[in-house]
Amino acid sequence: MRYRMIPFRYFNAYMNMALDETIMEGIRTGTTPPTIRLYGWKPSAVSIGYFQGLEYEVNLEACRRQGVDVVRRITGGGAVYHDCDGEITYSLLAPLALFPDDLIQSYRLICGYLIEALQLLGIEGSFQPINDIIVDGRKISGNAQARKQGVLLQHGTILYRVDVEKMFTLLTVSEEKISDKLIRSVKKRVTSISDILSVSFQEVVTALETAFRNNLETEYGDYTDEELKRARQLAEQKYSTHSWIAMR
Amino acid sequence: MKQAKAIKKVPGGKLVRVDITYGERLEKVIITGDFFLYPEDVLPVIENALAGALLPLEKTSLIEKVQNILNREKAVLVGFSPQDLIDILEEAMQS
Repeated sequence: MRYRMIPFRYFNAYMNMALDETIMEGIRTGTTPPTIRLYGWKPSAVSIGYFQGLEYEVNLEACRRQGVDVVRRITGGGAVYHDCDGEITYSLLAPLALFPDDLIQSYRLICGYLIEALQLLGIEGSFQPINDIIVDGRKISGNAQARKQGVLLQHGTILYRVDVEKMFTLLTVSEEKISDKLIRSVKKRVTSISDILSVSFQEVVTALETAFRNNLETEYGDYTDEELKRARQLAEQKYSTHSWIAMR
Repeated sequence: MKQAKAIKKVPGGKLVRVDITYGERLEKVIITGDFFLYPEDVLPVIENALAGALLPLEKTSLIEKVQNILNREKAVLVGFSPQDLIDILEEAMQS
Protein backbone atom coordinates (compact mmCIF):
# COMPACT_ATOMS: atom_id res chain seq x y z
CA MET A 1 0.00 0.00 0.00
CA ARG A 2 1.50 3.30 -1.06
CA TYR A 3 1.37 6.23 1.32
CA ARG A 4 1.12 9.86 0.36
CA MET A 5 3.91 11.68 2.19
CA ILE A 6 3.03 15.33 2.82
CA PRO A 7 6.10 17.40 3.77
CA PHE A 8 6.27 19.55 6.89
CA ARG A 9 3.94 22.52 6.91
CA TYR A 10 2.52 24.83 9.56
CA PHE A 11 -1.19 25.15 10.31
CA ASN A 12 -3.11 26.43 13.29
CA ALA A 13 -4.38 23.95 15.87
CA TYR A 14 -7.91 23.73 14.49
CA MET A 15 -6.73 23.05 10.93
CA ASN A 16 -4.25 20.46 12.13
CA MET A 17 -6.97 18.48 13.86
CA ALA A 18 -9.42 19.08 11.03
CA LEU A 19 -6.95 17.81 8.42
CA ASP A 20 -6.55 14.57 10.36
CA GLU A 21 -10.30 14.06 10.43
CA THR A 22 -10.67 15.02 6.76
CA ILE A 23 -8.06 12.48 5.70
CA MET A 24 -9.68 9.81 7.90
CA GLU A 25 -12.98 10.49 6.13
CA GLY A 26 -11.30 10.17 2.76
CA ILE A 27 -9.63 6.87 3.61
CA ARG A 28 -12.92 5.51 4.90
CA THR A 29 -14.72 6.38 1.69
CA GLY A 30 -11.84 5.27 -0.50
CA THR A 31 -11.11 8.68 -2.01
CA THR A 32 -7.85 9.29 -0.16
CA PRO A 33 -4.70 7.18 0.00
CA PRO A 34 -3.04 6.30 3.30
CA THR A 35 -1.19 9.42 4.32
CA ILE A 36 1.72 10.54 6.43
CA ARG A 37 1.80 14.23 7.18
CA LEU A 38 4.43 16.23 9.06
CA TYR A 39 3.39 19.52 10.55
CA GLY A 40 3.88 22.26 13.07
CA TRP A 41 1.53 24.46 15.05
CA LYS A 42 1.37 28.19 14.32
CA PRO A 43 0.45 29.83 16.58
CA SER A 44 1.70 27.57 19.35
CA ALA A 45 -1.12 25.60 20.93
CA VAL A 46 -2.18 23.30 23.71
CA SER A 47 -4.02 20.16 22.70
CA ILE A 48 -5.93 18.10 25.23
CA GLY A 49 -6.90 14.45 25.00
CA TYR A 50 -10.42 13.54 23.95
CA PHE A 51 -11.41 12.44 27.45
CA GLN A 52 -9.74 15.22 29.42
CA GLY A 53 -11.54 17.95 31.32
CA LEU A 54 -10.61 21.32 29.81
CA GLU A 55 -10.71 23.26 33.07
CA TYR A 56 -8.62 20.65 34.81
CA GLU A 57 -5.86 20.67 32.22
CA VAL A 58 -5.44 24.12 30.74
CA ASN A 59 -4.77 27.57 32.14
CA LEU A 60 -7.08 29.27 29.66
CA GLU A 61 -6.23 32.78 30.83
CA ALA A 62 -2.49 32.17 30.43
CA CYS A 63 -3.08 30.71 26.95
CA ARG A 64 -5.15 33.74 25.95
CA ARG A 65 -2.50 36.14 27.31
CA GLN A 66 0.28 34.37 25.43
CA GLY A 67 -1.65 33.89 22.19
CA VAL A 68 -1.68 30.12 22.51
CA ASP A 69 -4.63 28.30 20.92
CA VAL A 70 -6.39 25.46 22.72
CA VAL A 71 -7.93 22.49 20.94
CA ARG A 72 -9.39 19.13 21.86
CA ARG A 73 -8.04 16.15 19.94
CA ILE A 74 -10.06 13.18 18.73
CA THR A 75 -7.41 10.96 20.31
CA GLY A 76 -7.05 10.11 23.97
CA GLY A 77 -3.95 10.78 26.01
CA GLY A 78 -2.75 13.84 27.85
CA ALA A 79 -2.46 17.59 27.39
CA VAL A 80 0.43 18.68 25.18
CA TYR A 81 2.00 22.07 24.63
CA HIS A 82 2.92 22.38 20.95
CA ASP A 83 5.53 25.12 20.70
CA CYS A 84 5.74 26.41 17.14
CA ASP A 85 9.54 26.26 17.15
CA GLY A 86 10.00 23.40 19.58
CA GLU A 87 8.24 20.42 18.13
CA ILE A 88 7.63 18.36 15.03
CA THR A 89 4.32 16.53 14.78
CA TYR A 90 3.38 13.68 12.48
CA SER A 91 0.13 11.94 11.63
CA LEU A 92 -0.06 8.52 10.07
CA LEU A 93 -3.49 7.70 8.67
CA ALA A 94 -4.31 4.36 7.06
CA PRO A 95 -6.80 1.50 6.98
CA LEU A 96 -6.89 -0.16 10.39
CA ALA A 97 -6.55 -3.58 8.76
CA LEU A 98 -2.90 -2.79 7.97
CA PHE A 99 -2.00 -2.72 11.67
CA PRO A 100 -2.01 -5.17 14.58
CA ASP A 101 -5.31 -5.37 16.47
CA ASP A 102 -3.36 -5.20 19.67
CA LEU A 103 -3.10 -1.56 20.63
CA ILE A 104 0.35 -1.70 22.19
CA GLN A 105 1.74 -3.65 19.25
CA SER A 106 0.43 -1.05 16.81
CA TYR A 107 1.96 1.76 18.89
CA ARG A 108 5.21 -0.18 18.99
CA LEU A 109 5.21 -0.62 15.20
CA ILE A 110 4.61 3.03 14.33
CA CYS A 111 6.81 4.37 17.12
CA GLY A 112 9.52 2.17 15.61
CA TYR A 113 9.68 4.57 12.65
CA LEU A 114 10.26 7.47 15.02
CA ILE A 115 12.92 5.53 16.88
CA GLU A 116 14.65 4.95 13.54
CA ALA A 117 14.47 8.71 12.84
CA LEU A 118 16.17 9.35 16.16
CA GLN A 119 18.82 6.74 15.27
CA LEU A 120 19.49 8.55 12.00
CA LEU A 121 20.30 11.59 14.11
CA GLY A 122 22.50 9.54 16.43
CA ILE A 123 20.05 9.22 19.33
CA GLU A 124 19.15 5.88 20.89
CA GLY A 125 15.48 5.90 21.80
CA SER A 126 13.20 3.13 22.93
CA PHE A 127 9.48 2.47 23.03
CA GLN A 128 7.89 2.74 26.46
CA PRO A 129 4.36 1.38 26.57
CA ILE A 130 1.69 2.60 26.46
CA ASN A 131 2.49 5.34 24.00
CA ASP A 132 5.82 7.05 24.65
CA ILE A 133 9.36 7.06 23.30
CA ILE A 134 12.11 7.66 25.79
CA VAL A 135 15.82 8.47 25.66
CA ASP A 136 17.85 7.63 28.75
CA GLY A 137 14.64 7.25 30.70
CA ARG A 138 13.26 10.63 29.64
CA LYS A 139 10.27 11.17 27.38
CA ILE A 140 11.06 12.67 23.98
CA SER A 141 7.91 11.69 22.09
CA GLY A 142 4.25 11.21 22.99
CA ASN A 143 1.82 9.47 20.65
CA ALA A 144 -1.92 8.87 20.48
CA GLN A 145 -4.27 6.81 18.36
CA ALA A 146 -7.85 7.05 17.23
CA ARG A 147 -9.55 4.10 15.56
CA LYS A 148 -12.75 5.00 13.78
CA GLN A 149 -14.79 3.06 11.25
CA GLY A 150 -11.90 1.00 9.96
CA VAL A 151 -9.36 3.83 9.87
CA LEU A 152 -6.38 4.30 12.15
CA LEU A 153 -4.92 7.66 13.02
CA GLN A 154 -1.74 7.83 15.04
CA HIS A 155 -0.32 11.24 15.67
CA GLY A 156 2.52 12.24 17.89
CA THR A 157 5.30 14.65 18.58
CA ILE A 158 9.05 14.72 18.69
CA LEU A 159 10.36 17.39 21.01
CA TYR A 160 13.00 19.53 19.33
CA ARG A 161 13.35 22.04 22.13
CA VAL A 162 11.41 22.16 25.36
CA ASP A 163 10.68 25.08 27.69
CA VAL A 164 9.31 23.44 30.81
CA GLU A 165 8.69 26.72 32.62
CA LYS A 166 6.51 28.02 29.78
CA MET A 167 4.73 24.69 29.46
CA PHE A 168 3.74 24.91 33.10
CA THR A 169 2.29 28.37 32.77
CA LEU A 170 -0.10 27.00 30.13
CA LEU A 171 -1.05 23.65 31.56
CA THR A 172 -3.11 23.67 34.71
CA VAL A 173 -0.85 23.15 37.51
CA SER A 174 -1.88 26.53 38.89
CA GLU A 175 0.89 29.06 38.44
CA GLU A 176 1.46 29.67 42.12
CA LYS A 177 1.87 25.96 42.66
CA ILE A 178 4.75 25.61 40.25
CA SER A 179 7.54 25.05 42.68
CA ASP A 180 11.13 24.74 41.53
CA LYS A 181 10.97 21.21 42.78
CA LEU A 182 8.15 20.30 40.45
CA ILE A 183 9.84 21.86 37.43
CA ARG A 184 13.09 20.08 38.24
CA SER A 185 11.19 16.84 38.49
CA VAL A 186 9.58 17.32 35.05
CA LYS A 187 12.95 18.29 33.59
CA LYS A 188 14.23 14.95 34.74
CA ARG A 189 11.36 13.17 33.00
CA VAL A 190 11.36 15.10 29.70
CA THR A 191 14.07 15.67 27.15
CA SER A 192 14.36 17.10 23.65
CA ILE A 193 16.66 16.67 20.68
CA SER A 194 18.34 20.00 21.42
CA ASP A 195 19.14 18.79 24.93
CA ILE A 196 21.07 15.88 23.42
CA LEU A 197 22.78 17.20 20.30
CA SER A 198 23.10 20.15 18.00
CA VAL A 199 21.04 19.67 14.84
CA SER A 200 18.71 21.96 12.98
CA PHE A 201 14.94 21.70 13.02
CA GLN A 202 15.06 20.83 9.32
CA GLU A 203 17.48 17.96 9.94
CA VAL A 204 14.97 16.42 12.33
CA VAL A 205 12.18 16.82 9.79
CA THR A 206 14.35 15.16 7.14
CA ALA A 207 15.23 12.28 9.48
CA LEU A 208 11.55 11.67 10.15
CA GLU A 209 10.70 11.68 6.44
CA THR A 210 13.58 9.32 5.73
CA ALA A 211 12.57 6.88 8.46
CA PHE A 212 8.99 6.72 7.23
CA ARG A 213 10.20 6.26 3.64
CA ASN A 214 12.64 3.52 4.67
CA ASN A 215 9.81 1.49 6.17
CA LEU A 216 6.79 2.26 4.02
CA GLU A 217 6.19 2.68 0.31
CA THR A 218 5.65 6.39 -0.10
CA GLU A 219 5.37 9.09 -2.70
CA TYR A 220 5.39 12.80 -2.05
CA GLY A 221 2.07 14.56 -2.33
CA ASP A 222 0.10 17.49 -1.01
CA TYR A 223 -3.32 18.26 0.40
CA THR A 224 -5.96 18.52 -2.30
CA ASP A 225 -8.10 21.64 -2.64
CA GLU A 226 -11.11 19.55 -1.57
CA GLU A 227 -9.32 18.38 1.56
CA LEU A 228 -8.31 21.91 2.50
CA LYS A 229 -11.86 23.13 1.93
CA ARG A 230 -13.38 20.34 4.05
CA ALA A 231 -10.74 20.87 6.76
CA ARG A 232 -11.48 24.60 6.91
CA GLN A 233 -15.14 23.72 7.36
CA LEU A 234 -14.37 21.28 10.20
CA ALA A 235 -11.97 23.75 11.80
CA GLU A 236 -14.65 26.42 11.82
CA GLN A 237 -17.68 24.31 12.69
CA LYS A 238 -16.11 21.81 15.08
CA TYR A 239 -12.55 22.16 16.33
CA SER A 240 -12.58 25.89 17.13
CA THR A 241 -16.00 25.82 18.81
CA HIS A 242 -16.51 26.09 22.55
CA SER A 243 -18.87 23.13 22.52
CA TRP A 244 -16.11 20.87 21.19
CA ILE A 245 -13.20 22.29 23.17
CA ALA A 246 -15.12 22.38 26.46
CA MET A 247 -16.99 19.13 25.82
CA ARG A 248 -15.64 17.73 29.12
CA MET B 1 -27.44 16.82 46.47
CA LYS B 2 -23.69 16.59 47.13
CA GLN B 3 -20.78 16.86 44.79
CA ALA B 4 -17.43 15.16 45.14
CA LYS B 5 -14.40 14.23 43.10
CA ALA B 6 -11.42 11.92 43.25
CA ILE B 7 -8.38 11.36 41.11
CA LYS B 8 -5.97 8.47 40.71
CA LYS B 9 -2.85 7.85 38.67
CA VAL B 10 -3.02 4.14 38.00
CA PRO B 11 0.44 2.57 38.45
CA GLY B 12 1.71 1.70 34.98
CA GLY B 13 -1.47 3.19 33.57
CA LYS B 14 -3.11 6.57 33.15
CA LEU B 15 -4.67 9.32 35.22
CA VAL B 16 -8.41 9.02 35.89
CA ARG B 17 -10.64 11.57 37.58
CA VAL B 18 -14.30 11.24 38.55
CA ASP B 19 -16.68 14.05 39.37
CA ILE B 20 -19.92 12.87 40.93
CA THR B 21 -23.22 14.29 42.08
CA TYR B 22 -25.11 12.15 44.55
CA GLY B 23 -27.91 11.98 47.07
CA GLU B 24 -29.35 8.62 48.03
CA ARG B 25 -27.96 7.33 44.78
CA LEU B 26 -25.34 8.38 42.25
CA GLU B 27 -27.03 11.00 40.10
CA LYS B 28 -24.28 12.00 37.73
CA VAL B 29 -20.83 10.62 36.95
CA ILE B 30 -18.24 12.35 34.77
CA ILE B 31 -15.04 10.47 34.00
CA THR B 32 -12.05 12.37 32.63
CA GLY B 33 -8.35 11.68 32.18
CA ASP B 34 -5.55 10.86 29.80
CA PHE B 35 -6.60 7.27 29.16
CA PHE B 36 -7.59 5.61 25.88
CA LEU B 37 -10.92 3.99 25.07
CA TYR B 38 -11.98 2.56 21.72
CA PRO B 39 -14.59 3.24 20.54
CA GLU B 40 -14.60 6.59 22.28
CA ASP B 41 -18.38 6.93 22.53
CA VAL B 42 -18.54 4.07 25.03
CA LEU B 43 -17.53 6.46 27.82
CA PRO B 44 -20.94 8.17 28.09
CA VAL B 45 -22.54 4.70 28.09
CA ILE B 46 -20.45 3.80 31.14
CA GLU B 47 -21.17 7.13 32.84
CA ASN B 48 -24.92 6.73 32.28
CA ALA B 49 -24.86 3.14 33.51
CA LEU B 50 -23.20 4.17 36.76
CA ALA B 51 -25.65 7.02 37.36
CA GLY B 52 -28.56 5.66 39.35
CA ALA B 53 -26.51 3.25 41.44
CA LEU B 54 -27.76 3.06 45.00
CA LEU B 55 -25.50 3.99 47.89
CA PRO B 56 -23.53 2.50 49.47
CA LEU B 57 -22.00 1.25 46.23
CA GLU B 58 -22.08 -2.45 45.53
CA LYS B 59 -18.60 -2.57 44.11
CA THR B 60 -18.65 -6.08 42.67
CA SER B 61 -21.82 -5.59 40.70
CA LEU B 62 -20.66 -2.18 39.41
CA ILE B 63 -17.33 -3.60 38.25
CA GLU B 64 -19.28 -6.34 36.49
CA LYS B 65 -21.61 -3.77 34.95
CA VAL B 66 -18.71 -1.77 33.48
CA GLN B 67 -16.99 -4.92 32.25
CA ASN B 68 -20.22 -6.09 30.61
CA ILE B 69 -20.50 -2.80 28.73
CA LEU B 70 -16.91 -3.11 27.51
CA ASN B 71 -17.59 -6.68 26.36
CA ARG B 72 -20.89 -5.84 24.71
CA GLU B 73 -19.43 -2.86 22.85
CA LYS B 74 -16.22 -4.76 22.01
CA ALA B 75 -14.45 -1.81 23.60
CA VAL B 76 -10.79 -1.61 24.52
CA LEU B 77 -9.95 0.38 27.64
CA VAL B 78 -6.31 1.28 28.16
CA GLY B 79 -4.86 2.96 31.22
CA PHE B 80 -7.24 1.82 33.94
CA SER B 81 -9.53 -1.09 34.74
CA PRO B 82 -13.19 -1.27 35.79
CA GLN B 83 -11.91 -2.09 39.29
CA ASP B 84 -9.79 1.11 39.30
CA LEU B 85 -12.82 3.12 38.23
CA ILE B 86 -15.07 1.83 40.97
CA ASP B 87 -12.28 2.27 43.54
CA ILE B 88 -12.04 5.94 42.52
CA LEU B 89 -15.82 6.34 42.71
CA GLU B 90 -15.73 4.95 46.24
CA GLU B 91 -12.87 7.25 47.13
CA ALA B 92 -14.87 10.24 45.88
CA MET B 93 -17.80 9.22 48.08
CA GLN B 94 -15.51 9.11 51.08
CA SER B 95 -13.82 12.44 50.36
